[in-house]
Amino acid sequence: MEAYLVAIAIVALIYVLLALGLTLQYGFTGLINFGHVGFFAIGAYTSAILAMNGLPLVLSFAAGTIVAGLAAWPIGLIALRLRDDYFAIVTLGFSETVRLVITSEKWLTNGVQGIPAIPRMFAGISVGSLASFAVLAVLLVVTIVAILGMGRIVKSPFGRIIEAIRDNEDAVKALGKDPARFKVQVLILGSGLAGLAGAFYAHYITYIVPDQFIPLVTFYVWMAIIIGGVGRVSGAVVGTVLLMVLLEGSRFIRDVMPFISDVEMASVRLGVIGLLLILFTIYRPQGLMGDFTRR
Amino acid sequence: MFYAQLIVNGLVQGLIVGLAALAVTLVFGVARFANAATGDTMTFGAYAALIGHKATGSLVVAGGAAVGATALLSLTVYALVFRKLAGRSVVALLVTSIGVGFLLRSVLGIVFGHNQQLFTVPLVRPIRFNGLIINPFDLQLAAVAAVALVGVFLVLYATPIGRRMRAVADNRELALVSGIRPERVMIALWLLVGAVTGVAGMMLGMKTIVSPELGWEMLLPAFAAAILGGIGSPVGAVLAGLLLGVAQELSTPFVGFTYKLSISFVVLLLVLLVRPRGLFGRLEGVR
Amino acid sequence: MSLQITDIRKAFGGFQALDGVTLTVGEGQLVGLIGPNGAGKSTLFSVVSGFIEADTGEVRFKGADLGRQSPAARARKGLLRTFQVPREFSHLTVRDNLKAAAPGQTGEGLVGLFLRPGEVARQEVEITAKADEVIAFLRLGPVADLPSGRLSGGQKKLLELGRALMVEPSLILLDEPFAGVNPVLIEELVERIRELNARGIGFLIIEHDLQALTRLVPILHVMDRGRILASGTPGEVLEDPKVREAYLGGAA
Repeated sequence: MEAYLVAIAIVALIYVLLALGLTLQYGFTGLINFGHVGFFAIGAYTSAILAMNGLPLVLSFAAGTIVAGLAAWPIGLIALRLRDDYFAIVTLGFSETVRLVITSEKWLTNGVQGIPAIPRMFAGISVGSLASFAVLAVLLVVTIVAILGMGRIVKSPFGRIIEAIRDNEDAVKALGKDPARFKVQVLILGSGLAGLAGAFYAHYITYIVPDQFIPLVTFYVWMAIIIGGVGRVSGAVVGTVLLMVLLEGSRFIRDVMPFISDVEMASVRLGVIGLLLILFTIYRPQGLMGDFTRR
Repeated sequence: MFYAQLIVNGLVQGLIVGLAALAVTLVFGVARFANAATGDTMTFGAYAALIGHKATGSLVVAGGAAVGATALLSLTVYALVFRKLAGRSVVALLVTSIGVGFLLRSVLGIVFGHNQQLFTVPLVRPIRFNGLIINPFDLQLAAVAAVALVGVFLVLYATPIGRRMRAVADNRELALVSGIRPERVMIALWLLVGAVTGVAGMMLGMKTIVSPELGWEMLLPAFAAAILGGIGSPVGAVLAGLLLGVAQELSTPFVGFTYKLSISFVVLLLVLLVRPRGLFGRLEGVR
Repeated sequence: MSLQITDIRKAFGGFQALDGVTLTVGEGQLVGLIGPNGAGKSTLFSVVSGFIEADTGEVRFKGADLGRQSPAARARKGLLRTFQVPREFSHLTVRDNLKAAAPGQTGEGLVGLFLRPGEVARQEVEITAKADEVIAFLRLGPVADLPSGRLSGGQKKLLELGRALMVEPSLILLDEPFAGVNPVLIEELVERIRELNARGIGFLIIEHDLQALTRLVPILHVMDRGRILASGTPGEVLEDPKVREAYLGGAA
């Protein structure tokens, strides 16, 4: 039971990192990023591949973060000239293209077979449960640093401008500020966080395949920030925890109804997320936590 | 010759993309959002056609089932979901349409399972024409698409409700002021869009294999074609769909089978870089 | 000359919104721009402020051709605009709306934010003081800490003007500053604009409230169907038979 809880907590914190990135992008800046999972995948594969080639984990994690952040740069430059909904479509297309690339470039990613036996964090600690605790501790520290950093950013002049961009981009231009400059930075920052989350994921699960990086993951994160209340850091955290309870809770359905197969279970989860996205947007757009409503 | 064959092969695919893009562009023009449930609605159409076909063996019945059932589904989704979001932000509608797509795919997965299913169509000897190999079944599909397109354009350009639809697409406020009842236009829109999506889904299912994931993969090409064609322009969407279908086939020898799916993304990026409003797009009036 | 607009043309599809507009605003001048709805006034503002690119013609500001410069670049040169429908940052307080407009903030860059926290804090104090000055000047004190989305229409107009003032403007394009504002507040606004003008800020004002406008501006231009129909003092212009026909006659 203890090991199970630690495992859940680790996965939950990985999702919190993802949710923080999206909160910065959508919640504060209004960027409709439908391709978050693409940056998550880039971080995971970059770190995994480098570590498999002998790079120390600290460096591979940093590389995963940086490469994911940098990948957002050209996307930002191209896409930020576009209207909101085109941006959503382009980012969705980007994440699907990332998945095609990692599926096709077998020499680099081993294609659909994926990368097995990715080095663990704290492999030196021979007691498994202790190593998991260490991972959890590091992840907790990283998450707290990320939350504090986000808090600093959103309460700063930078934060003021990105919220202004979300509320009315043209007015920001009319006051002599260039929204694109801010949006690109936000995109890079949020994607870097997603990349870092990806690195943690790869080295914790130790086995990655392209199928783990489907758009559904992006919308798990969307669901989390919508549940928690868009546009607040606390919302990202609370929403993610609730989402995890929901996703993990669905495992227990299997205990009661063991005849449900894996694929059916996947269908059920997909349906639950779909239904929640619909219901929340219609009936509770402000989420459970706050009264932030956009337009 | 080889390339000519690829172009022929791409045309049917292009018609499917064009029909899907037509559905996207109609919703975008009139209801003002990018409907991400379009792909999964196509899947629904494919299953409806499959059931109709299995029960009777008739392709006509299959087509009728696809059109009827998908139009009904589309209207139901409008009534239960999108109608409640009138006046809300673009992102609310976008996210909700993603949710609708997920829910549809989930239900289809639970009801029909994840086994891939095939339309059993009789094998016919291909027609050879100047060295080109043409599958008569493709000709039938092309005919179906042509009939569907003629139908849609007749509704849009030759009926009162179509005129109203275009009026709302052109200038919503003006249309409402001049006494057009939005509710009726919306009902007509979603029925029409459902029918188009159903045909597209059926064709896709017949060309490939029916599975719950079938339609999702068409979403990006459909969006790409709708944008390429100039969002809100029905003719543009169909032409752009054909163009994309052919481009995908032509690119296969160069980029391989997997990457042909990303062609639409690359085309989308290029178009948006050069013309952020699409190729045939009209300028939106700015005041 | 502060602003020189020469032969601007702009068509939307088949509709000629601007059909050769030429107009100047001198250094520190107060100029009014009137005309029936659809005459092209707001389109002209959008062209001058860089939100819409003209088909042909030239806009010069302080002698330099603005060419295809972005709206932001024009604002940084001191050419500011407000919007007909107020575009407040609705989730920010009034004070934060103003502070967001302040130029040259170190804390707007992520590097500066984390590496030079002292400088950021110091600027924050300065900016807050400047914002509070503007709040006092525009009598927005009672609502300074409210989310601006909750202001009345008139207060939002004041806030738009206030944000422009934060940027150290030399010319402000005001798009219907009195529309939807109650008469008492209009008096207030007229006074504020006079004071600002006395400090050397020029104004080009689109307005339908001729009573308020004619008391404020010594020079008036009338637009109709994308052209300047008449120019002169308010008295001259309003007596012009062409104007009476196109604008006043049409309205009666």
